[in-house]
Amino acid sequence: MPITEKKVLSPQEERIKNSHAPSDKRAGRLLAGFQGTRPVIDIERGRYFTESFKKTEGQPLVLRWAKALYHYAENASVYIDDGQLIAGRAGREGRYGILYPELDGDFLDEMIKSLPERDSSPFDITDEDAQYIISEISPYWKGKTFHEALAAAIPEETRRYTYNNDAELSSRFIVNETASFRSSIQWVHDYEKPLRIGFNGIRREALDKLAALDEFSPIDNTERRPFLEAVIITADAIILWADRHAELAEKKAAEERDEKRRAELTELARICRKVPAEPADSFYEAVQSQWFIQLFSRIEQKTGTIISNGRMDQYLYPYYKADKEKGLIDEDRAEELLECVWVSMAQYIDLYLSKAGGAFNEGYAHWEAVTIGGQTPDGRDAVNELTYILLRSKREFPLNYPDLAARVHQRSPKRYLYEVAETIKDGSGFPKLINDEEVIPLLLAKGAQFEEAYDYSVSGCAECRMPNRDTFTSPCAYINFAAALEMTIYNGRMLKYGSEVIGLRTGEAESFESFDEFLAAYLRQQKNFMKHAFIQQHEIIRLRAEHFASPLGSSLHRLCMEQQKDIHSPKIEGGIDLGYFEFIGYGTVVDSLAAIKKLVFEDKRITFAELKKAMENDFEGYEPIRQLLQSAPAYGNNDGYADEIGRLLDRELLEFTKKYSKELEVHLDLRYVPFTSNVPFGKVVSATPNGRHAYKPLSDGSSASQGADRNGPTAVLLSNYATKNYDHRDRAARLLNIKLSPQCVSGEEGTEKLVDFIRAWRDLRLWHLQFNVINRETLIKAQQDPDSYRSLLVRVAGYSAYFCELSKDLQDDIISRTEHTAV
Amino acid sequence: MTGTVFNIQPYSLHDGPGIRTVVFLKGCPMRCEWCANPESQSISPQVWFDREKCISGKGCSFCAKLTDISRFDPAAFDGETKSFESICPCGALGVYGREMTVGEIIDRVEAESVFYGEDGGLTLSGGEPFMQGEFAIELLREAKRRHINTAAETCGQCSKEVLRRAAGLLDHIMFDIKLIDEERHRRYTGCSNRQILDNLEMLFAEFPKLRKRIRTPVIPTVNDNEEDIRAIAGLLSGRENYSYELLPYHRFGVGKYRLLGREYAAIPDKLDSELFEKLKQLTL
Repeated sequence: MPITEKKVLSPQEERIKNSHAPSDKRAGRLLAGFQGTRPVIDIERGRYFTESFKKTEGQPLVLRWAKALYHYAENASVYIDDGQLIAGRAGREGRYGILYPELDGDFLDEMIKSLPERDSSPFDITDEDAQYIISEISPYWKGKTFHEALAAAIPEETRRYTYNNDAELSSRFIVNETASFRSSIQWVHDYEKPLRIGFNGIRREALDKLAALDEFSPIDNTERRPFLEAVIITADAIILWADRHAELAEKKAAEERDEKRRAELTELARICRKVPAEPADSFYEAVQSQWFIQLFSRIEQKTGTIISNGRMDQYLYPYYKADKEKGLIDEDRAEELLECVWVSMAQYIDLYLSKAGGAFNEGYAHWEAVTIGGQTPDGRDAVNELTYILLRSKREFPLNYPDLAARVHQRSPKRYLYEVAETIKDGSGFPKLINDEEVIPLLLAKGAQFEEAYDYSVSGCAECRMPNRDTFTSPCAYINFAAALEMTIYNGRMLKYGSEVIGLRTGEAESFESFDEFLAAYLRQQKNFMKHAFIQQHEIIRLRAEHFASPLGSSLHRLCMEQQKDIHSPKIEGGIDLGYFEFIGYGTVVDSLAAIKKLVFEDKRITFAELKKAMENDFEGYEPIRQLLQSAPAYGNNDGYADEIGRLLDRELLEFTKKYSKELEVHLDLRYVPFTSNVPFGKVVSATPNGRHAYKPLSDGSSASQGADRNGPTAVLLSNYATKNYDHRDRAARLLNIKLSPQCVSGEEGTEKLVDFIRAWRDLRLWHLQFNVINRETLIKAQQDPDSYRSLLVRVAGYSAYFCELSKDLQDDIISRTEHTAV
Repeated sequence: MTGTVFNIQPYSLHDGPGIRTVVFLKGCPMRCEWCANPESQSISPQVWFDREKCISGKGCSFCAKLTDISRFDPAAFDGETKSFESICPCGALGVYGREMTVGEIIDRVEAESVFYGEDGGLTLSGGEPFMQGEFAIELLREAKRRHINTAAETCGQCSKEVLRRAAGLLDHIMFDIKLIDEERHRRYTGCSNRQILDNLEMLFAEFPKLRKRIRTPVIPTVNDNEEDIRAIAGLLSGRENYSYELLPYHRFGVGKYRLLGREYAAIPDKLDSELFEKLKQLTL
């Protein structure tokens, strides 16, 4: 084809071309050892927790949890991988997932039994281990899990929106609870404290508090004492576990013939003897200590999307700086140590055995976010040398883990913004961006002090936590508002569930005489969903403390230690309880309402009866109507017609939670972050008035419906801005993904324009932004499924075009030119 | 004041510095054989039709009251275009060109202003934007009044007086020169290049501070040779405050000829990429 523009190579490709492939590095060799291997289920965590729990019945839960951790630390296998500089895994070699029977023990045996029948089971388990689960682990937990207790506790009517009526209590994907497949919402520890004082320091703190207890106080005796004892046992457990790694390293060193490796193992043994028991005194020690702590936290409980890493460029910086001044470390060495941790993270699989859990996090994705940039507790820019090393590591070692989150604010230095943009351009989409200008005022409005708000960490996908101030760990409801829309159209029913009336009977759709009547009916269904979500949440908050404890996490939390209370307690004084509920299908609902308003009521191009008929047939034989629906105004185009509807829905939900979250004594904020759950939620919703086919995915987060954004990425941002209610504080993250082609961002000029785009996003006070710099596979998908990719813009040599509008041969040409930018 | 616009494209990255919104004005005095925007040539709105996207075979009849779509030929159509604007839901039938006021347009441009940063803003393009001269000047004046950075892309074939007045309102100009040889210029574009070269002289002489980007689309068999490029580079050499850029020939516009019921005058050969790289060396 007659395009002569030079191929755009990403920096990563340039490196490959110049043969500085990542495999030259230590981490690259470690990665090659497990890449592409099938994950295994390691049962040790499930086994030792169950063994311990059997022996501790009747004792305070926090103490039982600590004893289970100790039992694990004493008995579980310990590992040091060949060539690794960092010790510790929570399961056997290769990629592994571990068991949390306290969550899913009641149906774990059924899941394991059904494994051989699955078409493609994503993990392996030995027959012996499978048998152990069926005969020893699962039977103990039947009747004891939170999942069962919650299902029994929520009222009959609310259950109808929550679970299917089956043995496993599978999710109905309408008003969906997520509290029963993880022990905590996404979370971040204060890592600075254990690095500074070590677990011996925490142990001493607990001992002092124990000595100070009032021997006559009933609370001190029944609650504070077991809590403090649990903290001491947990400190002993992690120290013991680290010691066992030291022993292994010593043993390996003694057997090692290679002198260089022997020296590495000897040093590793020394470090594991020291941390996390004692304060870290070097960058290497701090990194190893942090990894032990977060790994032990993974063993302690299943945290949603895995425990996050916090502000690594802040709490590790003093160690880096001191080592650098002493000439003990350079950038390459720091990067090598961090990458040894990254490959360890990549081998941990966030295993979900329940169908709902798996569907929420398809591909076992996890987000143990590393936060960089942002502001110091006193409100100055926080970027330092380590920030740039973390960015460089993401550019040079293209691994999905950890998730990197860059905080951006008004005074973020130019170099930082440019390096962030350069890293995004590298093709993998990292880092995602989080906006201080939106997050900090909201944290302040909810009661944070300035120094706490400035010091927030990104947690999981898009949440922001203040590690010593956040105290709400209950996972929250994901609400399928597209189902509410369907119930408005079918008078309380959904096509998937036939004649069963689930929602409110708001009237037959054909009888609505104006759009306002229809909208009012939808808003009643929406409000009814909120009612059931809040009823669920009330029971979840009440019941969780009876099922979950986190002595490790609590020992790292200032308020928990001050009050000697487990973090999962329903109420901790002085805490800020930040929860949320999730809007699933925002674009789908807004576009559907806009289409009904415009085409049925305003322009009268179709009747409601015709629309219903077309949808009942999934548009089979009604393609002209489907096309007409898709031509209606849609969210994501900076079109006030659709955006005003979007803002109204957002506001109604904010008003509800403003009124009723007080009764739950928490902040339940409106959030738009679906993970991959817009797919399973879509599977229960039949065809929608925006022309979406039945059971296809709903729109994702606060992004436009698939292919509905026809005016480019700036319009998507402006629609987001237009639909937010800035006068309300009851809002949390909006996830926003933007697709760009590599040509959009190529060269120095491309970087500058990407920085301009990021600044605009910051000034619009949007919460989150992640770029997909598209690769060849995306373009091929777009070719096969143009409906979902109509908004994909490709820009080549001074000309820009929507990819799907180009002819097949031109598309092929562009594909052939982008293939080398594929990651 | 109103004019005819055929597209407003936000987030444009290759039409001047920074992120820009390009306003495409309809109408062009030139008829270049390789034109990538055939819908820009006529100054009046034009109906287009994409038979491949039409689903009249599947029972769609939304446009039946306007025309018998099975026999519709956009090239032959000369009736009223307004009712064709939003009749087709499938993206198969529509109109290039819409009457808009200065206010409407600049409101849309201003709505994007958060993205402009220090350098971005409005770019007027076409067609030849200065063919609708007074309207283009009003757009620039309104943009300046709202402190929006301005740029224009011109083929140079326009009234000198219009260009002079516009230049006073511009921060950047992108000015195309295809050929120095007048005879061949006339053959390939339908116009002499005297006015163009004269306008260029005027810009250099009267607007020394205006940032100028001179561009040459390199078209196979037309000007993809050292001699022609050297001639243009030679004309520019020694002047100040300009950059010179070669744009590679592309065929992205081919599909639009079909939608207008027109044939694309085949440019026979594809551009040789090695040759293009070599020609670029001449411009450095």
